Amino acid sequence: MIRSHFLNMVVFSGLVAVFFAYLTQSGARDRLRVTLIIGGSMVVLSLIVAYVMYPFPLR
Amino acid sequence: MSETSLATAPPTRAPVDPWAPCLLAWLLPGLGHIYLGRKRTGLVFLAVVMATFFLGIASSGAASLLDPRQPLTYLATFDNLAVGPVEIISRFATYGGLVYRMPPDEGDPRVADLTDRVRRRVRSVTYEYGNTFLLTAGLMNMLLILDAFDIATGRKD
Repeated sequence: MIRSHFLNMVVFSGLVAVFFAYLTQSGARDRLRVTLIIGGSMVVLSLIVAYVMYPFPLR
Repeated sequence: MSETSLATAPPTRAPVDPWAPCLLAWLLPGLGHIYLGRKRTGLVFLAVVMATFFLGIASSGAASLLDPRQPLTYLATFDNLAVGPVEIISRFATYGGLVYRMPPDEGDPRVADLTDRVRRRVRSVTYEYGNTFLLTAGLMNMLLILDAFDIATGRKD
């Protein structure tokens, strides 16, 4: 079991990125490019959203 | 058609019954693509969906039960089922048996038992991740079934 929040997010992003790269692309180079773009975007955007949420606690 | 264009034309594939790859894709993620001749892609899909599914179980994700008091559970259960027969493993991991429906009578002793089993998983710090992984595995396989259908009918190369 992965207990680290960040590692969970990275693993999840990686799996989803590989899935969509293979679903939407056919060449090896294109698949690698799309994997990096989707996976990287998910991680970076999640971190940005996390920092934006930081000053706005629910209570 | 000239001789040159015949030489460069893509090979034509024999027509395939589109429902066969869809059924195979449901039985085992990626099997529909393997059936359609995309062995490597199918194996990658199998590895990705199974990794997502088993990480969900390992992270204390819970399979959803049909509960008329909570309509969204119908969607979640349908999504769980989309991953195929392997979904049974998540039922046993969550409820210790093959359970798909919360008993309608709240006084039924099985309700307390099933709720208690879910609560035990909810207490885990990775419960939300586990649920997300489990639901995502089902969504991925729905897309694979639709993709296999599109390939079989010639809508996708």
